[in-house]
Amino acid sequence: VILTSENPDNWDFNKDGQIISSYSSSSRAHVKLWTRLLVSLLVGGGVLGAWWYVDLEKQQKFQRRRVEQLRKVALGQGTFSLLDHMGQRRTKQDFLGNWVLMYFGFTHCPDICPEELDKLSAVVSALDQDPSLPRVQPLFITVDPERDNVGALARYVKDFHPRLIGLTGTPEEVKQAAQDYRVYASPGPKDEDGDYIVDHTVLVYLVSPDGLFLDYYNRMKNKDQILDSIKNHIKNFRSVI
Amino acid sequence: MTAPTSAERKACWEARDQLWLCLDNNNDKIESCQKFQSDFEAKCPAQWVKYFTKRRSFLKYKDKMEAEGFSPAEGSRENS
Repeated sequence: VILTSENPDNWDFNKDGQIISSYSSSSRAHVKLWTRLLVSLLVGGGVLGAWWYVDLEKQQKFQRRRVEQLRKVALGQGTFSLLDHMGQRRTKQDFLGNWVLMYFGFTHCPDICPEELDKLSAVVSALDQDPSLPRVQPLFITVDPERDNVGALARYVKDFHPRLIGLTGTPEEVKQAAQDYRVYASPGPKDEDGDYIVDHTVLVYLVSPDGLFLDYYNRMKNKDQILDSIKNHIKNFRSVI
Repeated sequence: MTAPTSAERKACWEARDQLWLCLDNNNDKIESCQKFQSDFEAKCPAQWVKYFTKRRSFLKYKDKMEAEGFSPAEGSRENS
């Protein structure tokens, strides 16, 4: 044993009373501090890592369960068959494999629909900027088939995102599409000009490439919140079909 | 009847905002804002005028609720 300290207080003994090491008191404190720091870091890091892993597992489990729940409630699982603003018939099958953002409204809408469609267009444009993300298809489905014919929609959609598709149809076809997404719509009383306001559900729906409803955004959600949510959905998407 | 175009919508909203600003500055006295009121009515469809007028009272009510909170009716107040 090499003695580095003359002071017997700093000697370590084994059970037979032999000196096994010695150290100066300052270096002892130093070593102890470093050891404690290292142990703390390792233990702390381990706990943090474990927590992170458990949290990730939990999130994934929650997401899988959510998709299952949505599948069970079957929101928007039916099909729609409507005319687009070019007069072409479009069904829900046409959009399978695509991410879809859809909004129900009407072209005579005073403020809410144009605001929501501006927001939706801004979200889609921002997503378009990222080449690593799949294209998201914006859809506008009218709840006012009486006035919103193909021509009216063609005039209306050009004020918004260039890929926005307007959809209309017979009152029955439109009603069926709205019912499929639990959209409430009720035309108000007509004035002397025959003009009226349609009271309706104000929600933007996110539909996965499986054609299943994944999430919805109300008026309180701003562009960035919707953008983050959609990116997150795209990142975590697992086809369930 | 065709829906207002994008330009017509914007003109209507601007007229509405001007009127609302005037009403805000004049304690909601419509007499002080006649000029803005008629401009608003000229630039917006009649239905929208009705809708925005109702919407303003709703927004004002909402702001009041948010600022002051719900105040119970006089009768339910306790004497201390």
